[in-house]
Amino acid sequence: MKAPATGQAAPPGITPLRPEREDLRVAALAALAVALHVLEAALPSPVPGMKPGLANVVTLLALVRFGWRTAAWVAALRVVVSGLVLGTFLSPTFLLSAGGAAAALGALGLAVRCPGRGFSPLGLGLVAAMAHMGGQLLVAWALFVPHPAVALLAAPLMTAAAAFGTLSGIIAWRILAQEEATEQA
Amino acid sequence: MRLRPTPADLLAFAAAAAVVAALHLHAWGGGGPVVTARVETPAGTRLLPLDRPGTYRVQGALGESVLEVREGAVRFVDSPCRAKVCVRSGWARAAGDLVACLPNGVVVTLTGPGGEYDAINF
Repeated sequence: MKAPATGQAAPPGITPLRPEREDLRVAALAALAVALHVLEAALPSPVPGMKPGLANVVTLLALVRFGWRTAAWVAALRVVVSGLVLGTFLSPTFLLSAGGAAAALGALGLAVRCPGRGFSPLGLGLVAAMAHMGGQLLVAWALFVPHPAVALLAAPLMTAAAAFGTLSGIIAWRILAQEEATEQA
Repeated sequence: MRLRPTPADLLAFAAAAAVVAALHLHAWGGGGPVVTARVETPAGTRLLPLDRPGTYRVQGALGESVLEVREGAVRFVDSPCRAKVCVRSGWARAAGDLVACLPNGVVVTLTGPGGEYDAINF
């Protein structure tokens, strides 16, 4: 498909679609998140479901810099596109991923409404990771394995989520700090 | 942007630590005996907690069966039957285990979490 040259009038009957700044931003961030997500899918994992979740760093950055709507778009696109790329679209893996992302977005939506000084990227990363894993476990329990043993798997998984969530928070904070320094320079 | 955790952050970390600790306690904590012996006799059903060692006598169809509870397990010590299959079955200790003296009508089933059968095939 050839991109129409800018300034050229669209042929009659065709509505020109011009991506706005926000669209481009979402696309770029989502592409970054998809790349991280797909790379991570290649990593071996000691326990099913235990992943660093570095793609969530992108969601955090989108949230802090551009707000919840952008973050939600980025996360939703990441889940869908990664599903298509990895061939897991609409499979249980995809549903778990989507459930986790939805839970994380919900928690982040609440967290940014927190009064006072609110959450730093550190706290946001932790909240998002815990909610992500919690949502995932609930989906797993509700749809696939309605067995009390899911609670046993929750112990190591939630521990990992807390650790990796803090790690994502630190990474997001460092990137934000660097951006701020660049802008001031 | 300096990395100074806000009060909300600290709250989140405390909550996360509490959730993780609770999950680990649930996952690893034994928390007392979980297996109970359910003794069915012609006269009725009674429960024997397996953390109380002792000898128990139950009345059956033929006479008195003697059960022993020790170290979280239960067995038939004696029963007024001929074959003594129940006595030779030995100890039952895991949830789902079953020992019985059919002539005397005494059936001992161990119940507890994890004792449900996934499937039974004959």
